[in-house]
Amino acid sequence: MENKKIDLPQFTILVTLITVGDSILVLPAIPAALAKQDAWLSAILGLLIGLFVVYLLGTVGKLYPHLTLVEYNEKILGKWPGIVVSILFIFYPLLSVAAHVREIGDFTTTHIMTNTPVLMVNLIFVVIIVMGARLGIEVIARSGEIFFFFFTILFVVFVIALVPLIDLENVKPILEGGIKPVINGAFTVVAFPFMELLVFLMVLPYVNHQKKIRKSFLIGSLCGGLVLVIIIAFTILILGYDLTQRSFYPTFALAKMIRIGDFLERIEVILAVMWILTTYYKITFYFYILNLAIAQIVRIKEYKVLLYPMGMIITVLSIVISPNAAYFNDTISKYWPFYDSTFGVFLPLLLLTVAFIRKKHEKIGYN
Amino acid sequence: MWATLGIFIVAILIFMAEAPSLLINKSKRELWVFSVLLVIGVGLSITRGLNVSIPNPLDLLIIVYKPLSDLLTALLNS
Repeated sequence: MENKKIDLPQFTILVTLITVGDSILVLPAIPAALAKQDAWLSAILGLLIGLFVVYLLGTVGKLYPHLTLVEYNEKILGKWPGIVVSILFIFYPLLSVAAHVREIGDFTTTHIMTNTPVLMVNLIFVVIIVMGARLGIEVIARSGEIFFFFFTILFVVFVIALVPLIDLENVKPILEGGIKPVINGAFTVVAFPFMELLVFLMVLPYVNHQKKIRKSFLIGSLCGGLVLVIIIAFTILILGYDLTQRSFYPTFALAKMIRIGDFLERIEVILAVMWILTTYYKITFYFYILNLAIAQIVRIKEYKVLLYPMGMIITVLSIVISPNAAYFNDTISKYWPFYDSTFGVFLPLLLLTVAFIRKKHEKIGYN
Repeated sequence: MWATLGIFIVAILIFMAEAPSLLINKSKRELWVFSVLLVIGVGLSITRGLNVSIPNPLDLLIIVYKPLSDLLTALLNS
């Protein structure tokens, strides 16, 4: 294993940035469509369940603190079953990176650079992702610290500017449709930010102070989750659920409403900066994980040689993955959460169960 | 045509950037994995560059998870 180390605060910040990720822009529309004006309840419920999921992931990380997910897959499940699971696992970051790059491309070409072909935006973005992943996890974590500072300031400005626009009428009546829509809406709120954190199981061996990892993991995801709860609540409180569910990018529509006095208007680019920042970290981190996982499966020492070819594959995949926006949105909201839960909940539970049974057998064997 | 040529140039640049150090260090396994991925990448890019349609991996995702998704919708919308 390479000698790379990241500190606990850096780890926490990285978890926060990746929890916020692309969810800050695209998430609010989905619970708003399902739970209507109760989407803020879905968000809170989602945060609570999400913390349980993170706790579960932290527990799995404690099984073998000095190995990555791909390595202990083989240790726990046996050599060949482990490799099969690992190969299935690498498709997860692969598809995630491609989908997120496409999200960036779609957003940029519909709202900022409207005459640029989406392929060009994707290509440029993939180039900077490859650059980031080439520098390794240490540099990603350290630069995350710097940008987290900017992100916090921008977010606070954003929230303060929006508070005067709140209209409490938008959330009434509370629980109009009963509890079922709220649960339905909470599922995506759990899946998108929290279950996707499972990729962190690949870097836990590189974190200093192994014993406190689960705590930092929880703190990081709690901070990120609170940001998302605030964003979802604000879209409902200010835009109303109808407008929220209809927009592709509800938070961006929200940011357009900001006006400070009569002289500062259309500052929604602040939001775009925040979003591209957090999404960049999410994608770069996923891309790093993807290459690291492949390198560990085929047992090569250096993941860096894989970066350029993988970048090419990602670029093509980011174009192929979405024939049109309607198909993409439908798939992401209906089926992707299940994909997340396969790896974010089912796989950790499987690993824990098998490891538990193994330990029992070993004890009996010794007696 | 131009797309194919461009992709070949990019592929050659990538190969020149990575392969020599691998050859010097005699890391055969690295070279193999790198070459296989590069060939896949170039193949996909050229197919796409010639406007041939490539199957969308999300379609497979839909086939796998459709029963679960339908079940959840039925449970929570009744």
